[in-house]
Amino acid sequence: MNRIAEASLIVGSAVLAALGVAIANLSSGGSVDAQVALTFVSFVVSWGGLWVTVRRLTPGANPYLLPLASILSAVGMVEVYRLNPSLGSLQRWWLLTAAALGSLTILWLRDGTAVLRRYRYLLLMAGVLLLMSPLLPGSLPLGGVTVNGSRLWLRLNLWGDSSLQFQPGELGKLALIVFFASYLAERRQALTLVHRKVGTLEIPEPRQLMPLLVAWLASLIVMVYQRDLGASLLLFAVFMAMLYMATGQAVFPLTGVGLFAIGTAGAFQAFSHVQRRYSAWIAPFDDFEGAGYQIVQSLFAMGSGSIAGSGIGLGRPDLIPSAATDFIFAAIAEETGFVGAVGVLIGFALLVAAGFGIAVRSRDPFRKLLAAGITTVIGVQSIIIIGGVTRLLPLTGITLPFMSYGGSSLLSNTVALSILLVISQEEHR
Amino acid sequence: MNRSIRLVAAGVYLFFGLLVLMLTYIQVIRGPEYRDDERNPRLLAARAGRERGPIVARDGRLIAESLEVSSQTAAFERTYPFDDLFAHPVGYATFLFAERGLESERSADLSSSRNLTFSGMIDELLGRDTDGQGLRLTLSPELQEAARAGLGTQLGAVVAIEPSTGEVLAMYSSPTYDPNQLVAGDTAYGDAINRDPTKPLLDRTRAELYPPGSAFKVITTAAALESGTANARTLFEDVPELILPGSTSTISNFNQGLCNGGEPVTLAVAFARSCNTVFGQLGLELAEDDFVDMAQAFGFNQDLGLDMELIESEIPTDFTSNRAGMAQSAIGERDVRATPVQMAMVAATVANGGISMQPYLVAETFERDLTVIQTMQPAIRERAIGPGTAAALKDLMINTVNQGTGRSAAIEGAEVGGKTGTAQGPGGNPDLWFIGFARNDERAIAIAVVVEDGGLVGADGTGGAVAAPIARNVMAAWLAGS
Repeated sequence: MNRIAEASLIVGSAVLAALGVAIANLSSGGSVDAQVALTFVSFVVSWGGLWVTVRRLTPGANPYLLPLASILSAVGMVEVYRLNPSLGSLQRWWLLTAAALGSLTILWLRDGTAVLRRYRYLLLMAGVLLLMSPLLPGSLPLGGVTVNGSRLWLRLNLWGDSSLQFQPGELGKLALIVFFASYLAERRQALTLVHRKVGTLEIPEPRQLMPLLVAWLASLIVMVYQRDLGASLLLFAVFMAMLYMATGQAVFPLTGVGLFAIGTAGAFQAFSHVQRRYSAWIAPFDDFEGAGYQIVQSLFAMGSGSIAGSGIGLGRPDLIPSAATDFIFAAIAEETGFVGAVGVLIGFALLVAAGFGIAVRSRDPFRKLLAAGITTVIGVQSIIIIGGVTRLLPLTGITLPFMSYGGSSLLSNTVALSILLVISQEEHR
Repeated sequence: MNRSIRLVAAGVYLFFGLLVLMLTYIQVIRGPEYRDDERNPRLLAARAGRERGPIVARDGRLIAESLEVSSQTAAFERTYPFDDLFAHPVGYATFLFAERGLESERSADLSSSRNLTFSGMIDELLGRDTDGQGLRLTLSPELQEAARAGLGTQLGAVVAIEPSTGEVLAMYSSPTYDPNQLVAGDTAYGDAINRDPTKPLLDRTRAELYPPGSAFKVITTAAALESGTANARTLFEDVPELILPGSTSTISNFNQGLCNGGEPVTLAVAFARSCNTVFGQLGLELAEDDFVDMAQAFGFNQDLGLDMELIESEIPTDFTSNRAGMAQSAIGERDVRATPVQMAMVAATVANGGISMQPYLVAETFERDLTVIQTMQPAIRERAIGPGTAAALKDLMINTVNQGTGRSAAIEGAEVGGKTGTAQGPGGNPDLWFIGFARNDERAIAIAVVVEDGGLVGADGTGGAVAAPIARNVMAAWLAGS
């Protein structure tokens, strides 16, 4: 794929977003207005700008990542705008900020990702602090906020009553993955080769299992103190996958799954909100006005969309709770139908395929693990939330990368995408 | 490492594959089912915002119409010009509080199927009828007003029926509520009427069962006359208290008195004075089948065929080892329970010579341009009693209004008959009944009135004192015409 095709696809995604906004306007009785033009311009400036940066600084980077991400974000933008035009215009600002941050990441790492390795303990600390920061008392100028029973948000009080809210965990997650990639790249020999014999069974040296325990504890802390089952599940699944990819030994993820099962069973016993999630997953219609409400609304939305969908602006995705964030996929599935929903899944599958391709082609274990880790996060995160709204998995609140409304998610995913781009450039040299 | 990376990638793709399967299941296989599920708020949202056909009273006055609230999104809102007067039979169609009453039961006819979907456009192109239909009801605003004025703040219900056609002329339940406030989305009001212990949302005319008490003696008498067990002149012993066989229960008269000074009393006099001991004896003498079959012929344990939801009135069907229970049932106590619609039907059947007409509220459906689509034809539900029995019963009931417990139902210049009831209700104070009919040269009407818990009078309330005057005013309003 040449660069012109890549650029055309990005402009295509801008056209897609602008057309979608126009259709959303028209179907609610409005007209083609400045919003359409603003959307087009913001897409050209953000994704186009990122493309220019890549073109200048890392010309050998993978050409599929940017167009796929920009198309996914165009579909997400249209649905967010259709649900709430003012969120849509905020999302445009987030998109521009994210692209700027992505460009800065590429600028910083243009000589390679090795620099990340150097700062790995700093990144570990930063990641843990970011993950824990919402636990800060809400009375401080920079303090945690509880939203919908989960404590994931950090609020920075600015002047007067104005404040800025963000989910530090999104960036913290990325920092932890970078740390894990470099830690595992270094220790994977030890993890693989040093064994202790127990009878006829060879098990890894207990000391080597420390990172596993750390990951387990970290995800339990997130689950218990921040009541964020989705982030906890995501962190743990990605760490286990990375451990497995680093060592090739299934004993790690299997032990991990066992530990996680014990942790989850304990949480199930101890926390009523975990029990409610479980029963809402198994039998949502039994309590469709209570615990099962969200998932039932999601099923009704997607079912009403059927094969071809209601059309943008013609369904009632506004009846789904948290439609612009956690349930964006259900809203898209209602308005674009099975066809559109499968299209979104294909988009994610292609993005993930490109990411794993970069990982497989990388020659350096750190870059390999980093690329695989970032790709796994994007893949697993979309599986957890899409699986949640389609009842494949228990519902846990988490954003859909590039599509949900939300600045923190868009920023961290764009930075992660930029790191992937840099890694693909490094292999090209 | 590449092997394990590929395996993880394969795991991720496996899950994407499972997601496609879930989507297929939800959107393709179960899609139509989820779309049409009654709990899917889209159904209501779609109907609530769309134009609905009007609902008009029998005189053509508007009871419900759709007003356009926003021309841009073609959103309509229901409005009810009579406010709370027709709240129970007509109900409401709102976004926030869903639908109720005829607005719910006839929603499919009333709603326009015009919409912006592809199939909607095809219907439009093919010229299929997409406008909502209008409904003309048999209800009369004047009679509803008379019922409301009569009941006032008392809890209860009034149902009036045209005996020869089955048209429901009045259907009023007290307390009522204002559907316009629900349309406006007033959640405080919605919560208040939901929590109100007097249950304003409950339609007492057709969704509540009351012990009919002495009003049920019309059916006991019908069974006695039809089976030949007794006639109007048959003499009964006048005892202050009837001891029931195989039980410690007794039946006594109102105020524990005698009915006829201890002298033997005719069925006619006992009917007019509503003597419980006499009807208890009659209950013991009647064959079980004659009694139960008669109640069922009048509609107990049956679907009356009303064109709205109506709960069935109840009478036990097996008294073989419970003669005491039959004696108590003969005076409308024990386990006998009736809706006001059922009791109005009893009066209407007697007034119509024993022929029970199927009751209905929707007289016709019409198009937007007022052309009539369908007119309801009166239909015989059942020949409950022979004309001779009906005539005899009618005389007994007229006698009751002329010189018995129903005197306050009398209307000058009209033939009025009735039966009062003062039933032991669950509230402590009695439920007060009047069922009856009135006729002049032009018009006829049958009615049932029930006032809960003794009404404003309380423990000393009687059907004759409290319910009969309400019935009188509603019947007089009908006979006066307009």
